[in-house]
Amino acid sequence: MNAQTRAARKSVHHTVGAYDQKAAMLFLTPMVVVLGVVAVFPVLYSFWISLFDIKLSRPHRTPFVWFDNYARVFQDHMFWDSVTRTVSFTVMSVAAILLVALCMALLLNEEFRGRRFLSAMLLVPWAIPFVANGLMWKWIYDSGYGALNGILYQLGFIDKYLVWLGDPDKTLPLIANAFIWKAVPLPTILLLVTLKSIPSDLYGAAKVDGANVWRRFFHITLPSLKPAFILVMIYETMMAVRHFDLFFILTEGGPADASHVLSWEVYAETFRKLSFGTGAALAYIMALLIFVIAYSVIRTLGNKL
Amino acid sequence: MSINWSNQAGRREFLKRMGSLAGSSMLPFAGQALAADSINFFTWSAAVDTVKSHLTAFEKKYGLQVAHNMAPWAQYRDTSITKFVGKAPIDVMWVSDSWLPEWADAGWLAPVDGYADLMKYNADTNDFCNKSMQYKGRQYGLTYYSDFMAFLYDSEKLAKAGISAPPKTWDEVVQQSLKIKKAGLSEYPLMLSMARETWLIEFLTAMVYSHGGHFVDDAGNAVMHDPKKGAHQTLQWIVDAVQKHKIISPACVELGELLGFKAFSSGNHAFALLPRYRVRPLSDTKQSQIGGRVKQALMPAGPNGSNATVGWMRFYGMTAPAAADKTRAANAVKLIEWFGGKADGQYKFQKLLFSDGGSAFGVKSLFGDPEIRAEYQKYSDFDMFEKQQNLARKKDVVSRWFGEWDEINGTAWQAAVLGKSSVADALKRSAQTWNDLKKQS
Amino acid sequence: MANLGRRALLLIASIAFLAYVLAPIAWLVSSSFQSESELTSKPPHWIPHQPTLENFATIFTANDRVVTYETRSEGVTATSGFVPSTAKYLLPAMWNSFVVAITVVVLNLLVSIPAAYAMAKIRFIGRTSSIYFMLVTRVIPDIALVVPFFLFIRKLGLLDNLLSLIITYLAITIPFSVFVLLSYFESLPDELDKAARVDGCSRLQTLLRVFLPLAMPSLVAVMLFSFLTSWNEFLLALMFTQTPAAQTMPIIVASFTSDFTISFSFINAAGVVAIIPPVILAVVFERYIVSGLTAGAVKG
Repeated sequence: MNAQTRAARKSVHHTVGAYDQKAAMLFLTPMVVVLGVVAVFPVLYSFWISLFDIKLSRPHRTPFVWFDNYARVFQDHMFWDSVTRTVSFTVMSVAAILLVALCMALLLNEEFRGRRFLSAMLLVPWAIPFVANGLMWKWIYDSGYGALNGILYQLGFIDKYLVWLGDPDKTLPLIANAFIWKAVPLPTILLLVTLKSIPSDLYGAAKVDGANVWRRFFHITLPSLKPAFILVMIYETMMAVRHFDLFFILTEGGPADASHVLSWEVYAETFRKLSFGTGAALAYIMALLIFVIAYSVIRTLGNKL
Repeated sequence: MSINWSNQAGRREFLKRMGSLAGSSMLPFAGQALAADSINFFTWSAAVDTVKSHLTAFEKKYGLQVAHNMAPWAQYRDTSITKFVGKAPIDVMWVSDSWLPEWADAGWLAPVDGYADLMKYNADTNDFCNKSMQYKGRQYGLTYYSDFMAFLYDSEKLAKAGISAPPKTWDEVVQQSLKIKKAGLSEYPLMLSMARETWLIEFLTAMVYSHGGHFVDDAGNAVMHDPKKGAHQTLQWIVDAVQKHKIISPACVELGELLGFKAFSSGNHAFALLPRYRVRPLSDTKQSQIGGRVKQALMPAGPNGSNATVGWMRFYGMTAPAAADKTRAANAVKLIEWFGGKADGQYKFQKLLFSDGGSAFGVKSLFGDPEIRAEYQKYSDFDMFEKQQNLARKKDVVSRWFGEWDEINGTAWQAAVLGKSSVADALKRSAQTWNDLKKQS
Repeated sequence: MANLGRRALLLIASIAFLAYVLAPIAWLVSSSFQSESELTSKPPHWIPHQPTLENFATIFTANDRVVTYETRSEGVTATSGFVPSTAKYLLPAMWNSFVVAITVVVLNLLVSIPAAYAMAKIRFIGRTSSIYFMLVTRVIPDIALVVPFFLFIRKLGLLDNLLSLIITYLAITIPFSVFVLLSYFESLPDELDKAARVDGCSRLQTLLRVFLPLAMPSLVAVMLFSFLTSWNEFLLALMFTQTPAAQTMPIIVASFTSDFTISFSFINAAGVVAIIPPVILAVVFERYIVSGLTAGAVKG
């Protein structure tokens, strides 16, 4: 009898899920090492930077300023404007994502020929790289030759090509549209799975009771979807708040700051104004915001942990 | 996964694969170690083949290896900064005149005035370029190329609209544009790029100078908001052009230099403000639909202005880490001379650049070179080139805080053009930012 | 009758669905087959009147060669017109992306599977905090990490090396992978574990022989997610890689738009080439993703 079997025999006397520090430590070590070294160090270092007044254009003087950077950020109207735009973008996006995902999930929940094909196509927007997504929509929105202009013109809705991304009133919704388009597949899957888990007897009983389609929808479907809605809402909010790539590719925060959201503010502060200290502070404030949201996620699924 | 985890053979196979993968990805690392002996040359991705061909010749002549890296122009400043901060190996790099104070003060660039091999070219370089490479009394490189903002027009459209000569003043630009617009030849006759990018300040400065204004006075204080000396007239003209006369498209805030160039070359506009070297591709019928009819005119003058325009230059800089190491510095000097000075006794690269891409140079003697003149005459007017060149002045906003101010200024002008802000407010904001930044430094 | 109405409704809805999901990509593909002059027509040609393969040809025939005075192509012009100077790097960049993504997937599995198993099936001190720890590392926006990451990578001497990207992407993808696997493992009954141990398996063997085969859907989901994240990542790759030797696909594709020439048709073709691998993967593995990502995530 080798050592392994002997050990197994010994531990058999404990119930599974029992206290087994050694094995756990062993299994966890790779993850802790990788994350600790590669993720924790930069995070801590970033925080350290945010306590200094570092302007790269003035490298010889980097005073330690405690939380001055943070205070300055909160007093900067640019910061609050960015927050407003971020909120606006997020609300727009999350609402639309929920709506579109719900419609798609409802459709995919039905049994009909070709459903498999639709299902397979669903993931295409999610799979394409952000860069490609940005460039694709930039081309569609192009004021000179874009498809959006083209199709509206051909259908007679407009009589000449309009300005899209360059119009500050349209900028955020257009970026949101590109974001939504790529984000929709995952929530759709989540909603679909939830839909499938609703027991059909519920519907059967309701039909017997004389409830029509709408009543069934509002009284059975929607309430059952609530947990999924909440999960999607929180996840997509997190994603929308920290999203950067589309703003970088489509508008670079413009025109005239129309799309100057929080993530762009962090970038501009760090790389355009070369103020690493305030940039790091901004990033941490953003992180705090996201952390609060993440915490809610964990609480929602709290029973599992 | 085709690896069978549960048996010995499978695990061995996995290790084998990981080993070869690690090996292949270690190769660039190994290459990088050897590259310590080579010169690290960092540029933006322009004239790539021209640069590469010249590098091949350099490597052959001196037996030195050059590791040539590039970043897109739009991201050049950002990537350079990350590299500086991270002390990435760069020896020689292209630098824009706008960034010199910022990078010199930050200690990233080293002066080259200690190298006679390079300084000897100053005598044959025009004043504008030399001055642009100097900061606080030290010189930081040799000229890569220099050019100015030109006023271009499509002669065919003018002819069809019955206009005999290009506009001499900005008022005439409005009138002629309205005529062209009425004749149905172009919806928005003037192409002006107003996207917030690196090019924007050049476009704005050209307009401001030709209107007789300034952003900043000689003492370095902001005067852009001054209705007489500043940029007030200029911005008002642009706003009127977009909103009142409708001769500039409201999409101009989306239009960067590249897209603007493309739009003009598609024949959508009658007039355009573009870097002069664009005349070369615009005249090429293979690339442009207005090839053969694009001409350069002197920059129109404002009511109290002149035909002045803005000139800029880019140069080869040596990084501070390179200068600190004797061998690296010596190699860097060789490379800078090969490109920015003479190669094998000739201004080879400058001439190549001119014939390939139409980019101009800072070398005085080349202006008198008959080959150059003949080449240029093939597609454009050399006399006009010289004339406008003599009226080109460097930007008055070059300073250590330029990068930061540029963002705010650009956004402010955009806001005015879009009608989100009044002209006075926009300029006041710009001036305020300038003065604040100046005080802080 | 109601049946007919239902079918009509489903048909309309399906068409709307497909239009929404596929139309933008269809336009991308159509644009890539048009020449520059056709592409800039007003209104646009939805289906190319004169389809051409020249954009793709440029991508696939561009190669690295020693450029001398004689062989250089003239500055801003190439014979086919507007071709960005970095065109020849697209295919090598895709290979780099591929190498990085595959390595990240493999290493991700190696690290995440044991960790997720431990957190799901073993009780130990620090269990909850390890889960929090893992999630917290993903809360900082990536932009804030660029400079510290850069310094770290540089210290390891891995600048412009694919390993730097691999390490970084591992840090990015592990938390999500662990989270997904954790959910899935938890949905598997504890009895399995018990039974396996009674049979004399060590913990590792239990994991490998019992749980892994059952968790195949979520494994596939995790693999796909790690692959796509690595394939699509842009900002960090831009900062860490310097030469085309190590640059990944998003960098090269982005560089096309800011080059000194511009060609819409070429950019579209490059976009098509860039999205083909991820799209194929997504379509082929869609079924696994659905079950893998959502098992136990939301109880109805």
